Amino acid sequence: MGFDMEETDQLIRDTAHRLFTDQCDAETVNGSECGEAPERLQKAILEAGLTLAWVPEAAGGVGGSLALGFSLIRQAAGFALPVPLADTLVANLLLAESGLEIADQWAALAMDGGELPVLVQGKVSGVVEAASGMPEAEVLVMPVTQGGQIRIAVFTPSVVDVQHHESLAGEARSRITLNAAVPDQLSDPVDGMTADGLGQFCALVRACQIAGALEKMGELTVGYVKERQQFGRPLGKFQAVQHKVADIAGESAISGAAVEQAIRMISSHPAPFDGSMDILLPVATAKVVASEAAGKVPRDAHQAHGAMGFSFEYPLHQYSRRVWSWREEFGSEFYWSERLGMAVASEIDTHGSGKSATRAWDVVSR
Amino acid sequence: MESVRFNFPAPQIDESVDELRKEVRAFLEEEVRSGGFTPVTDCWCAGIDPEFSRKLGEKGWIGVTWPRQYGGRELSALHRYVITEEMLVAGAPVHAHWIADRQSGPLILATGTEEMKQKILPQIAAGKCFVALGLSEPESGSDLASVRTRAVRVEGGWEVTGTKLWSSGAQQCQYMTVLARTGERNPEKRHDGLTQFFIPLDSPGVTVRGIRDMSGVEHFNESHFEKVFVPDDAVLGAVGEGWKQITNELALERSGPERFLSTFVALEKALQQGAPNMSGHQAAVAGSIIARIRALRAMSLGVAALLGQGHSPEVEAALVKDLGTRFEQDIIERLREFWPVRMKQGYGDELQNLMADSLLRSPSFTLRGGTNEILKGIIARGMGLR
Repeated sequence: MGFDMEETDQLIRDTAHRLFTDQCDAETVNGSECGEAPERLQKAILEAGLTLAWVPEAAGGVGGSLALGFSLIRQAAGFALPVPLADTLVANLLLAESGLEIADQWAALAMDGGELPVLVQGKVSGVVEAASGMPEAEVLVMPVTQGGQIRIAVFTPSVVDVQHHESLAGEARSRITLNAAVPDQLSDPVDGMTADGLGQFCALVRACQIAGALEKMGELTVGYVKERQQFGRPLGKFQAVQHKVADIAGESAISGAAVEQAIRMISSHPAPFDGSMDILLPVATAKVVASEAAGKVPRDAHQAHGAMGFSFEYPLHQYSRRVWSWREEFGSEFYWSERLGMAVASEIDTHGSGKSATRAWDVVSR
Repeated sequence: MESVRFNFPAPQIDESVDELRKEVRAFLEEEVRSGGFTPVTDCWCAGIDPEFSRKLGEKGWIGVTWPRQYGGRELSALHRYVITEEMLVAGAPVHAHWIADRQSGPLILATGTEEMKQKILPQIAAGKCFVALGLSEPESGSDLASVRTRAVRVEGGWEVTGTKLWSSGAQQCQYMTVLARTGERNPEKRHDGLTQFFIPLDSPGVTVRGIRDMSGVEHFNESHFEKVFVPDDAVLGAVGEGWKQITNELALERSGPERFLSTFVALEKALQQGAPNMSGHQAAVAGSIIARIRALRAMSLGVAALLGQGHSPEVEAALVKDLGTRFEQDIIERLREFWPVRMKQGYGDELQNLMADSLLRSPSFTLRGGTNEILKGIIARGMGLR
C-alpha cells in the first residue's frame, strides 16, 4: 500500500511539473496580473485533478498523502502559479475532513489566521480580513467556531459581502463580512480540529510556498549571473557575487530543510489540525526560518540582478513579491518566534531533578 | 551537479538510537552532579580532560561506527551523531579525543596499514590515544596546497621537516597526521604531490610548543619537525594522494553538530534563568534562535543521512558549516540584549562565564576547518559559478 501511494504521488508530481512547465511561463504570470485570466492553465489544473490531491478516493479525489499536497504547493510556488491551487487544496481538505461534499472546481479559503467567525443558532457572523482564492471560486469554505468546537461552513461566493483586495503580489485577498448568514452547507463539529491547529497548518502551507519560491529565486539568480557579462567576464566570476549566491543557496536550503521536517511531522501525525506541541515546534520553526529567509533572499537576488530584476518584464519580482506577502500571512517570523520561545520556556523546569528536570535542549531536540 | 535545489532526508531513528540518547544523557547528568566536570562552552575545542575521555572509552562511546575487530561497535553514523550532540549541549570536556574519533580514526580505517589499524584504533576507541591535525603552517592557511613541510625518501622510510601551526590539543596527543609535500611543486597541478603521514609526537626531532589563544586557553600549538624519521608504513594511503584524502575528510567534518552547537550551553543557561519570567520580547529572540537551531539540525541530520546512503553531499555540508558557524556566533550577540557580557571568566556567575567565554572564542568558529569564505567558494562551485 505504502509503495502504491508513493508511486501515485510521484506520478502526480510529475504531471504537475509538466503542466506548470508547459502552461505557466513568465508571460502567463505577468499577464494574469494585468487582467488576462490564465484560463487554459486553470482548466488544465482542474482536469489533471491537482485540486483534489488531498481528497480521499471515496470522495472522488486522488487520495494523496499530506506530503503530496505540500509538494504540489511547493512546486506551484516555484512557478509563481497565478492560480489559487494551494488555497483550493486546503479548502477541499477541510471539506473532506468534515465530511462535506467536494466539487471539482476552485474553492476559496475564508481563513487568514485571525479570529474565526462565530456560529450562533445555525447562522455565521464575523469578518475574515484576507480570504484567498475568491475570484475563481465557486464555493467559499470557512471554518467557524461554536463553543470552542470547529465546524466547516460553505457559502456561495456571489451571495456574501465581499470587498476585493490584492496582496503585494497581486494575489486576491478578500475581506468577507458575514452578519448572521446562513451557510449552504454546515458540517458537524470536526474532531481533533482547533483554530490554532488550522492556523498552524496554513502557516506551514505559506512556509512551504516560500521555500518553493526561494529555490526559484536562486535558480534565476544563478542563471542570470552566469549569462550577464560586465568588465569582460560573467558576474558569477566575481567573488562578491559568488558569496551572495552562496548566501541565497544557504537561506533557501535551510528553509527547505525546516519545511520538509515539519511536513514529515504533520504527515505522520494522527491529528494534523489539533495544534499540539509536537506540531507547533516544527511548524513554528518552518515559518520563522522561511519568513526570515523571505527577507534575506530577495535582497541578495535583486542585488545580483541589478536593474533587470527591478523591471516588471523580468520574472524575479513575481517571486520576491510573493514571499514578502506570504511571510506575513498566518503569522510572521515575529509572531511565531514569540510563540515558539514561550512554548519552550513553558516546558523548561529547572526545579525538577534527574529525570524530572526538563532542559531547553530536551524540547529543542524533540 | 549544478543545482540550487537541495534535499535533506529524514534520519532513520530507531529505538536503539533513542535508548543510547537516554543512556548518554543520564551519564552526563550524573557526571555534572558528582562534579566530574564543569560545563564549558565550545567544549569540543576548549574542554580538555583525558580522564573524561577514558571514561567515555570505557562506556564504549568513542569510535562507535568502526568494525568490532578494531575496537568499534559497528553502530550507525546516527548513533555517533547522538553521542556527539549530547556531549556538546552538556558542555562536556571532549576535546582530547574529538579529532581522533571524528576524523583520524576514519582516515586510518580508510588509508592505514592493517598493523596501524590493529594498534591504533582500539586505543582511540578506549579514549587513550589522541591525534592532532597537522595541516596549517605559518605560510599556509586557507591556501593549504602551499604547505612547505617536506618529506624526503630515505632508507626504509621518510624524513619529515617543517612546521605545523594551530594544531588543536597537540600537547595532549600521541600522534599527528601531517600533510607534507612529497613531490615537486607543479603550478599547473597545485594539489598533486602531497602526502599524509601518521607521526608519533614522541619521535626524535619533534618539538611541540603551546600557543595561548585570545580566550586564554592554550589548546593551539606550533609543532616543529626537524628531520623526523618515519617508516614507510606511516604513509596514510597512497603517496601523492594526500589532497584528495584531506578534502574527503573535510567534507565529513563540516556538517556535524559541533558546527552550530558550540555555544548552546550558554543559550541553555540563559533560557533556564529566563524561563520563569520570560517577556514577549525575550521569547521572540529565544524562539528565533531555537527555530534556527532546529532547522540547522534538520540539515545536519539530513547530510548524515545522505552520507549514510553513500552520497557525497559536499555542497550541503559546506552550507551547514557556513550557516551554522555564523549562527553560533550570532546566538551570543542576540543574548547580549538581555545578558550583557562584561566580565572575564571567574566573575562567579555561571551564565556570565559561559557568555564571556563564548564571545571570546567566537572568532574561531568561522575560521576553523576552512573559513566561511572558502566554504562559500565551494558552494559557488556547486552552483557552477567557478
